[in-house]
Amino acid sequence: MAQAFNNSSGVQLKPFTSEDDVNLRESLKRCSAASYEAAAQFRKTGNTEHLPAIVLGIIERYVEPDLRAKLKDADDDLRVIEDLGIDSLTMMEIVILVEDVLQMSINNEELRYLRTLGDVKTFIECKVRGLPLPKPTKFLPIEQIMSVMPIQPPFLFLGEASINAHGANAKYKISGQEFFLQGHFKDNPVLPASIMLEALGQLAVLFLLEGQIGEAGKVVDHRTIFFTSCEGVRCHRICKPGDVLILSIKPKRLKSPLATFEGQIRVGQEKAAIAEEITLTFGFAEEVAQPVQNSQSTPVTAPTQAAVNA
Amino acid sequence: MRKVYITGVGFITSIGNDAASVSESLRELRHGMVQYAPFQKADIPVKVAAPIRDFITETTDAEDWVFPARYTIRREALRGMAPHGVYSYCAMQQAVEDAKLTEADWSNPQTGLYAASAGSPFLLGHHLERMRKMGVMRCAPLGVVAAISGTVNFNLVSQFKIKGASAGFSSACASSAHAIGFAYDEIAMGRQKRMFVVGAEDGNVESILPFAGMRALSLQTDPSIASRPFDASRDGFVGTGGAAVLVLESEEEVKRRRAKIYCEVAGWGQASDGYNVAISHPEGTGLRMAIENALNYSDTTVDQVDYVNAHATSTPIGDISEAKALKAIFGHSPTRPAISSTKALTGHGLSLAGAMEAGFCALAIKEGFMPGSAHITKLEPACEGLNIIRATLPHRPNVVLSNSCGFGGANVCLVFRSV
Repeated sequence: MAQAFNNSSGVQLKPFTSEDDVNLRESLKRCSAASYEAAAQFRKTGNTEHLPAIVLGIIERYVEPDLRAKLKDADDDLRVIEDLGIDSLTMMEIVILVEDVLQMSINNEELRYLRTLGDVKTFIECKVRGLPLPKPTKFLPIEQIMSVMPIQPPFLFLGEASINAHGANAKYKISGQEFFLQGHFKDNPVLPASIMLEALGQLAVLFLLEGQIGEAGKVVDHRTIFFTSCEGVRCHRICKPGDVLILSIKPKRLKSPLATFEGQIRVGQEKAAIAEEITLTFGFAEEVAQPVQNSQSTPVTAPTQAAVNA
Repeated sequence: MRKVYITGVGFITSIGNDAASVSESLRELRHGMVQYAPFQKADIPVKVAAPIRDFITETTDAEDWVFPARYTIRREALRGMAPHGVYSYCAMQQAVEDAKLTEADWSNPQTGLYAASAGSPFLLGHHLERMRKMGVMRCAPLGVVAAISGTVNFNLVSQFKIKGASAGFSSACASSAHAIGFAYDEIAMGRQKRMFVVGAEDGNVESILPFAGMRALSLQTDPSIASRPFDASRDGFVGTGGAAVLVLESEEEVKRRRAKIYCEVAGWGQASDGYNVAISHPEGTGLRMAIENALNYSDTTVDQVDYVNAHATSTPIGDISEAKALKAIFGHSPTRPAISSTKALTGHGLSLAGAMEAGFCALAIKEGFMPGSAHITKLEPACEGLNIIRATLPHRPNVVLSNSCGFGGANVCLVFRSV
């Protein structure tokens, strides 16, 4: 008998007998062949690179056939409940099958925060490798975005947003009512490229204010965030009223007083703009003199404090 | 009290999976018994059952199940269903189509659903076994709702978005007759304008064979005579499953929708034996009182009754006690009603029986026939003096009684009237 041992991924490996293989095939009989292959490989080697394929395969099996197409080119932001129609009971079915296939146990409390495909993948990888679980993705509706952002309408270019440790995503629909579209251009409203960059910058601001940027106990002061530089900005698509911009940013370097992000804008599946680097400066709350008023109780109101200048 | 009518029916039964084929089987006395494959083992003395055709629900994994192509059931619905949940769903589809109801008609606070089944011993056993083997946290999340009694109302109420009254009834073989009675009350009292009534059972190894222990099942190996209520040589009942759905509507709704009517539900009565947990009263006193209550309530005289669909399951004791109750009611009446037990054709559907047989009565009244009591070669002597019809009569009965009796001595009599 082979002994249990730890491999390089930190996975406790148990021997994978032919009986285990029969059970695994039975458990995954309604999943794709690729999910079984990935699961068998994982059980034999403990290689966590197989986890996404296993988890996707299991989720796919529980998604109604007419919604499965969404999984084909899904990004990690795909929402399990809203986009895939998976209710909490189906989530339990998924969990039980995952437990069975990956030989682990998951408790109810841990499940509550799994909202996106990315959350599920990250969660399972951390569980399997025995790593601490990441903070879950935070979803912010527009009201909440407005209450934390120093930038306000009519110069706020974020709709609903989601933030996790790895970055932030947001949507913005070009309404056609934006004041600058009257002149940009004459009888031909096109979103200015500078506004696209501004929107990405605003999402980076939101990330700094709402994300988990690592330095324990410290809160970024919204009054300290300003634009510093950007590099490698390219536009690929003209964006017009009616288009929904899908904005995403990922931090590349985060060390006070500088935060550097990469950013991307899509419309549907089409790439609209990318910025290889957007750098902001920021500071923590105790590093600036506190005004008499408690800034926590008074949401930012003055648009003149707009911190990102693109 | 408001008048109540039956305006739609749906059937998944051993004698047909729609109203047309059920009606044909009833007229031609075509039975649904076979030597049931899962019983053909040396240690199982019971050989005959009346299974459902065109459905395959043998495995515990609902996604393996096969059902006719005209029905589609999404996985998220299927996972909470027992085999008889699928039968119910299909019978419900038929009933809403038959009554020509739209979703707006049935999904509103004035439309309810009462159901009856014994749950699914088959799935309950499977899920408990899994719990013992794999641990409590690996129980299928919907194992409970698929398996326990009430599964039919849980599923149909949620899937058909029923907003009115809903409940399950549990009085064993009187369950779905009780459901019809109380559904009638809801409409008669003006609390609902429409009620669905569903009776259903798995009708498989786990729901039928436990009755072998109480020696209630026929040990006949010949399917064509295994179920023979009122015959001197009867030796027990033959198990069956399936589902029957009735649509009950108020007079106002019938008029508003210009709905087709099968018959009126004229009223019902019930009474209990207060005698034995499983054996019916030897003199049939509870059933006699139930019939009297039903006749009184519905202003029906004894000589108005044209046809009685008997409960008679083909057990030695039960059939005699029903015969005695019927004699006590009709014995001295000059025009004795025609009496038959359609369980000779279908087998005994347990919680399904009351709704299924009420559906048969509705067909008989609408189409104008009285189904015969099949498989009698020598009449049980205790039945002498009752007009037990051996062949189907091509006449429309105007007033029909349907009897149902359950464990604990629960007795229900339903009264139907032609319009």
